[in-house]
Amino acid sequence: MDKILIIDDDEELCELVSEYLTVEGFEIECVNDGATGLQRALSGEYDMAILDVMLPKMNGFDVLRALREQSKLPVIMLTARGDDMERIVGLEIGADDYLPKPFNPRELAARLRAILRRAVTDGEGDGSEKLDVDGVQISPASRTATRDGLEMNLTSVEFGLLHELLREAGKIVKKEDLSQTVLERKLSPYDRSLDMHISNLRKKLGERADGSERIKTIRSVGYIYTLV
Amino acid sequence: MKLFVKIFLWFLAAIALMVGVIIFVTRTFQTEPMVNRFQRSTRNQMLIYGGTATQIAGAEGEAGLRTYLSRLRDLEPPREVNLVASDGSVWFGAAGRIADSTELIGRSLSTGTAETDFTSEDRSLGAAPVTFPDGRRFVLVLQWDRQAPPSLFWGSTLGYWRLGGLLLTAVILCYLLALYLTSPIRKLREATHKLADGDLQTRVAQKVGRRRDELADLARDFDVMAERIESLITSQQRLNRDISHELRSPLARLNVALEIAKQKSNADTLPIFERIENESTRLNEMISRLLTLAKLESGAEEVRRVPLDLAEIVRDVAADADFEAQAKGKCVEVSSADSCPVMGSENLLRSAVENVLRNAVRYTAERTVVNVSLKSNNGHAVLRISDHGGGVPEEELTNLFRPFYRVGEARERKTGGIGLGLAIAERAVKAHKGTITARNFNGGLQIEIGLDTAKNSEA
Repeated sequence: MDKILIIDDDEELCELVSEYLTVEGFEIECVNDGATGLQRALSGEYDMAILDVMLPKMNGFDVLRALREQSKLPVIMLTARGDDMERIVGLEIGADDYLPKPFNPRELAARLRAILRRAVTDGEGDGSEKLDVDGVQISPASRTATRDGLEMNLTSVEFGLLHELLREAGKIVKKEDLSQTVLERKLSPYDRSLDMHISNLRKKLGERADGSERIKTIRSVGYIYTLV
Repeated sequence: MKLFVKIFLWFLAAIALMVGVIIFVTRTFQTEPMVNRFQRSTRNQMLIYGGTATQIAGAEGEAGLRTYLSRLRDLEPPREVNLVASDGSVWFGAAGRIADSTELIGRSLSTGTAETDFTSEDRSLGAAPVTFPDGRRFVLVLQWDRQAPPSLFWGSTLGYWRLGGLLLTAVILCYLLALYLTSPIRKLREATHKLADGDLQTRVAQKVGRRRDELADLARDFDVMAERIESLITSQQRLNRDISHELRSPLARLNVALEIAKQKSNADTLPIFERIENESTRLNEMISRLLTLAKLESGAEEVRRVPLDLAEIVRDVAADADFEAQAKGKCVEVSSADSCPVMGSENLLRSAVENVLRNAVRYTAERTVVNVSLKSNNGHAVLRISDHGGGVPEEELTNLFRPFYRVGEARERKTGGIGLGLAIAERAVKAHKGTITARNFNGGLQIEIGLDTAKNSEA
């Protein structure tokens, strides 16, 4: 059974989410403040963490930043709805996904499963041959990506996106497909999270020596990893 | 800078005028009496010359008189000396009769005393009667070059130096004075701009320096005002965050509890739960829109302007809206999308376009098209979104952008609107100094958004 750590200062919400997710087949533990949460998250007992941004003493971003220094534990951030800064900052620091609060618990369960499945399949042999496209190498088995020999610190979503794009390098990958295979949810209108993940990935990949973008946007269709 | 130039020129003009007045006054009230005194003393001197000549003629005879007159002629400054007999013949005088002296000689003879003539510009004449021992009457005439009082500025090196020094001092003084007066104003202006651009921590009193005048007071008042605005906006932001958090916490719990209830529900109760879920979603949507609106109205959300292309946003949102519309048997068509580089906040512009477009999709009749057209025209981007939803009564058009304004209550509920979309769009467009208007067009409502495009084309 997958063990999930919830870090949120709203005790009642924690209780309810625990109850719901337990029925859905997860094992849950709740922590109500950031410092303890970080400690527990680093214990290695968990498969995943749900992290609220608004926390007393040590806020969610600080927890995530400290966590990312030592661990690749998948993290879903709970952000305030409509606050794009929180979303962007969260993803930049290395959250695997975010969910605006108040969220639909079914959505939360679906995303938990998607991220967990990715974490598992990535380690297996399925499509895990190493890829090397003009200096960018990824190794699905070890979930590492390097550019010109330097390791890039990618979140699991970014890694998944890069993997898909490199596999189809030179061809257009549709947004719908990326959403389905990487985020494991249907692309919904007005949802910009895919664009946001791609934009973070672009920043980490950097431009080519000649200043051209490695990943190009094909408007309202998808993305393409350009070949030189 | 204009004020600087104005103050500079005004002071310069004032100084020039003052110098002019001083020169004029000096000339009139100081030089003229001096000249008069000088003329009187010249006349007295002529009398003495005349008396002396009469005495010498008596004591030493004609030869002695000639020696005296020669000595008189050789004095500095150079002068011409005549001794003219009463019949007009010249008794003494190297170069003959002094020109134009007849009238003066006559006058001196008839009055029997010294006379002077200062009417000519370049010479002065003096005459005095002389009587020989034998009773013959003569007139001693002196002519010397007239020395005009030296001009203050013109005609001499010293004058030019004086003029140059005066001008230079005046210019430097005026420049410094103008600088002193306008520099705090310029600083205040810069600070006002910064404050208006959202830099709430701008303060100016420090920069104005240790002055103790009205400008320094103004700077201090500005700081007090800036502080107050900053604290107002900060507290507004905090309030927004708190509302957002405090209202949403129970909603989040409600959602989860509802889901648990649904897990345990049966076929009878499920529809009710779903209804509750819908209402909770709507409530949540409303809260987030209200917060967006509040942020926009208070100006608490700083508009971070980046270069972007409006066409991309329009195409993106139109594609999403089309997807949504297709499900309802409607569609969104982009008839033109000129590239329009603008400086703005992508989020705000996207939400403005999205709110207007979704509103149009909501109201357009089934099996009709919502038309989107973005045109670039002379540095101006015009976005028109037209639906076929029957339009709105003319007198209601301007009210459309008021929060919670409903044209037809029943209809609005059914279509799921909450009456904030257009209000948000309007505030978002206004935050970009753009315009948004509504009009009835071709059996539907047309919303037009106008924005200035960025000047540099690379944006």
